[in-house]
Amino acid sequence: MDQSKDRELIKAAVKRRKKEVYTPVVPEMQLGFVHNNVDCIGCRACEIACKDKNGLEAGPRFRRVMYVEGGTFPEVFAYKLNMSCNHCAEPACLPTCPTGAIFKRKQDGIVDIDSSLCIGCRKCEAACPYGAPQFMPNQNIVSKCNLCVDEIDAGRKPYCVMACMMRVLDIGPIDKILAKEWQTKAMAEFETPVRAVKNLADPELTKPSIAFIAHSKAKVE
Amino acid sequence: MSARFEFDLNRLAERLNPGRRDFLKTTAAGAGALAAGGLVNLGAVKEAQAFAYEPYPRDDELTTVVTSCAHNCGSRHVLVAHKKGDVIVRLSSDDGRYQADGAFGKDTFEEPQLRACLRGRSYRQRLYSAERLLYPMLRVGERGEGKFKRVSWDEALDYVASKMIEIKDKYGSTALLDQSYAGASYGVLHKSDQIEGLLGRFLGMFACRTNSWSVPSYQGTTTSSRWTFGTIKDGNEDDAYAHTKLMIMWGWNPAYTFHGGNTFYYMRMAKQKGCKFVLIDPQYTDSAAAYDAWWIPIKPNTDAAMMAGMAHHIFVNNLQDQAFIDKFCSGMDAATMPDWAKNTPNGQENFKDYILGTYDGVPKTPEWAEAICGVKAADIRKLAQMYATTRPAALKASWAPGRAEYGEQYNRMAAALQAMTGNIGVLGGCAEGVGKGWDAKAVAYPYDEYSNVWFASIKSDRWAHCVLNYPNVKREDIGLWPRQDKLDGVIPNIKGIFWQGSDWFNQLTNINKEIQAINKLELVVCMDSTITPSALYADVLFPIATHFERHDVALPWYKGHYYIHRPKVIQPLGESKTDFQVFTELAYRIGHKTGIGDAFGKAFNPKAGRNYFHHDDDVDEAYLRDWWHNQVMAGQGVTMPWETFKQHGIYKFVFKEPLVAFRKQIEKGVPFETPSGKIEILCSELAWIADWKKTRYGSHIPSIPKWIEPTEYLGGKIAEKYPFHLISPHPRHRTHSIFHNCSWLQEAFQQEVTINASDAKKLGIRTGDTVEIWNDRGGVVVPAYVTERLLPGVLVLHEGAWLDLDKEGWDRGGNPDFLTDDNPSPAGAFTYNNAQVRIRKTDKVHRPGWDQLATARSHVFRRDY
Repeated sequence: MDQSKDRELIKAAVKRRKKEVYTPVVPEMQLGFVHNNVDCIGCRACEIACKDKNGLEAGPRFRRVMYVEGGTFPEVFAYKLNMSCNHCAEPACLPTCPTGAIFKRKQDGIVDIDSSLCIGCRKCEAACPYGAPQFMPNQNIVSKCNLCVDEIDAGRKPYCVMACMMRVLDIGPIDKILAKEWQTKAMAEFETPVRAVKNLADPELTKPSIAFIAHSKAKVE
Repeated sequence: MSARFEFDLNRLAERLNPGRRDFLKTTAAGAGALAAGGLVNLGAVKEAQAFAYEPYPRDDELTTVVTSCAHNCGSRHVLVAHKKGDVIVRLSSDDGRYQADGAFGKDTFEEPQLRACLRGRSYRQRLYSAERLLYPMLRVGERGEGKFKRVSWDEALDYVASKMIEIKDKYGSTALLDQSYAGASYGVLHKSDQIEGLLGRFLGMFACRTNSWSVPSYQGTTTSSRWTFGTIKDGNEDDAYAHTKLMIMWGWNPAYTFHGGNTFYYMRMAKQKGCKFVLIDPQYTDSAAAYDAWWIPIKPNTDAAMMAGMAHHIFVNNLQDQAFIDKFCSGMDAATMPDWAKNTPNGQENFKDYILGTYDGVPKTPEWAEAICGVKAADIRKLAQMYATTRPAALKASWAPGRAEYGEQYNRMAAALQAMTGNIGVLGGCAEGVGKGWDAKAVAYPYDEYSNVWFASIKSDRWAHCVLNYPNVKREDIGLWPRQDKLDGVIPNIKGIFWQGSDWFNQLTNINKEIQAINKLELVVCMDSTITPSALYADVLFPIATHFERHDVALPWYKGHYYIHRPKVIQPLGESKTDFQVFTELAYRIGHKTGIGDAFGKAFNPKAGRNYFHHDDDVDEAYLRDWWHNQVMAGQGVTMPWETFKQHGIYKFVFKEPLVAFRKQIEKGVPFETPSGKIEILCSELAWIADWKKTRYGSHIPSIPKWIEPTEYLGGKIAEKYPFHLISPHPRHRTHSIFHNCSWLQEAFQQEVTINASDAKKLGIRTGDTVEIWNDRGGVVVPAYVTERLLPGVLVLHEGAWLDLDKEGWDRGGNPDFLTDDNPSPAGAFTYNNAQVRIRKTDKVHRPGWDQLATARSHVFRRDY
């Protein structure tokens, strides 16, 4: 069999499908997170603040501080990756939703799930390369970080950011953060934010709205 | 710096708050775009809306009350309660609004936000937990069995009052042991504490109290600081750390234990300014990672030896600050030895000659140190060189390495290094030690001649030994504090224990011995808001209101310069009462039973009448208002009236310059508070001691800092039988045992033993395996975590897990204090951090105390070995 022909067909189909099913909302301004992987002490105050804010039981975790460590004694290293929902420019979750419960806000690019429309099919959970959608067993729906839209609408910042004891987590317009044009304590003047770090999905997949100050061992080209 | 960090509020509001109308328009457009894409045609069925979690209310629809966290840690942060009716719906923290000239986002260098940590943020789970104690209870089963019946306050109070009188009549004035600790509060009014606490004053006035004098957290360190500097106020305020160029974190993990509101954050500022960090610790901690520190792994409980090696390098290369030594130190070298020393029984030696080996023929070289502590001599030299040549440099000698046999010698040795390099009293330097910085006005209730009255005072971890062996107990075995009257040397006949804000049964060393001892007691009273492991061994449980349910003012203990108002946020749950209410009512009842009427009650709580048990608001307000007027406004230069403070919620002091310990001694020549007025490397008090048995120490302590070989450490003979050295540092997901029952925190961090990867490989242990750890004192069952981030031969098991004994005597909860020894160092240091043990894989089941299956811990990216 001519496999190359197959591949071409598949490529064409994928191309066609993407075009046909979903045109991402282009927000007027895309909000995103910035996290300093090195300076973060990994205390998880942000996680607990998030759980408290959203009234979550043990189980679903809208925000996850992940501990990465490596090396061999005594030459070791450790850093933290901290993510909730990345409110992607091209969210993988959104087109998988059979009821249209997932939507992206025009004014700030926040991706949210309308829980009254969610049927708990968990397709979005499977589609997200960052593990953002969280299944809520007691309610049989999927929920996730909505960047505390209520706080955003009130002119404040989300609970996780306001909880950060080290001031290494912040939000802002993601293009400005990446261009170092946004005032934030998450990074020092000599630090440069990056979009990709090791062990994480390629940002080209969904264009996540998150920037990192990466550890030297986490940098990717 | 503050300008750059200033949050641009207008800019955010403009960008982030386009208004409700716009929002509706865009969601409609969003739904339209979807429909046009052809995936799902929603038509007019329902528009997608924000607020996925309705009816979860927004903050602005809730009542906002500023308060603080309150548990036994070195810090204190703001909690903002958002409540609906009388229920706290969620908590937030300081966002800059709740202070004078406050605004959302205000977070300056001088007045940083006081953001609560993960423990504080989980307070609702503790407040509304299933383990919440709501009614008075009397024990009906055996001690430890956990069988109680609910009784009325009247019955419970009468029982305790009668029993107290009976015990005192029968056994005398030492029969009741005060085991109050700082678990309930660090507020100015409702205070639980070994010295300043309400219980101490209550039992003291009742004239039946044995005090527990050694502090589990840091007795080695406080003793060292008092000997060396004459005070425990050897701490800088946390903003001073932003000015250091070299930060040596000795056993210090500020990522886990918070001292001061923003210590870790100021250290980050120092890092951004180029400060270099070093960590001396068996573990590569998260602090080492965050500050990119040079990690020097060290064998536990050998710190004094490594420091001696550093001192040797500094002396032989003449790197010491000799001018500083000559001016401020006593006993550092032959020239600074006081004349009187030669006449003393114990004060003949000076520190430099000890280090050089003049007395024992053993120079304390880096090579000598390497053989003990395992750190390469080259690294010891390099660190000594860095410390002696970088100005200013901070050697922060934390408490943890001092929680060991002869722990005080480590802290004294650190103080000697700090002094010989001249890093005391300078901005960016460090003399800690205990590290108590700014002096808050800490007591709003009567603190008078009745406070801290005691008739015997023992080392806190020796109570079980005392009870089990009475009357065949020697004073030196229990660290009996000397007295000037006929009670001197009288061994206390302990027949009852009071726990106020204390889970000591779970927290002191050698729990199996405590279990034997407690069954010899006739009255055990537990006053707590939670049914703790200690409570299971009590006879009477008094339900105590949490700090959300009573009126107080929070202050940082240790570091930080601010007050936080703590109003009664909600009404007390169940039949909870405050400690102050309970003691007041008990005082009245005891008075009436002993024929002195209201005198005791009135004296104990002068602003209150008998109805205080049911109406506490006006009295508490009166105490606090007086405290604010008479102490804070009159004594601390505060002009803000009490009413205004209550409206804001937070008062932050702003200093002209960072507060640095001993600045006035160094800059202005004010004498140190020691007997000699100098930094006492040669301790005057110790130098004059001839009969050690008559001191609280009980056995000999050298007058200068020295390395003394402990019995339990990796280099000891015991390591042949028990080859692993277990340390039990503070966890980040609990404050000691507090918060153990919060599922959010259990989900984020589990009780586990950390073991080095090469050790684990030899024993066939992988991450997630359950292991048993044991020695002659007891055994525990816990999951293992395998890592390269730990020195081989060392195990780490965090203290504070709730004990959960099985029938064979194994603790399935994994509490390390089944393994620790109840034999403290002469100066009183608890030996939490030296226990030699063995470890192996097991089929026994660990019981974490909550439903582990509630969540998978798949979020943890851990290396698989």
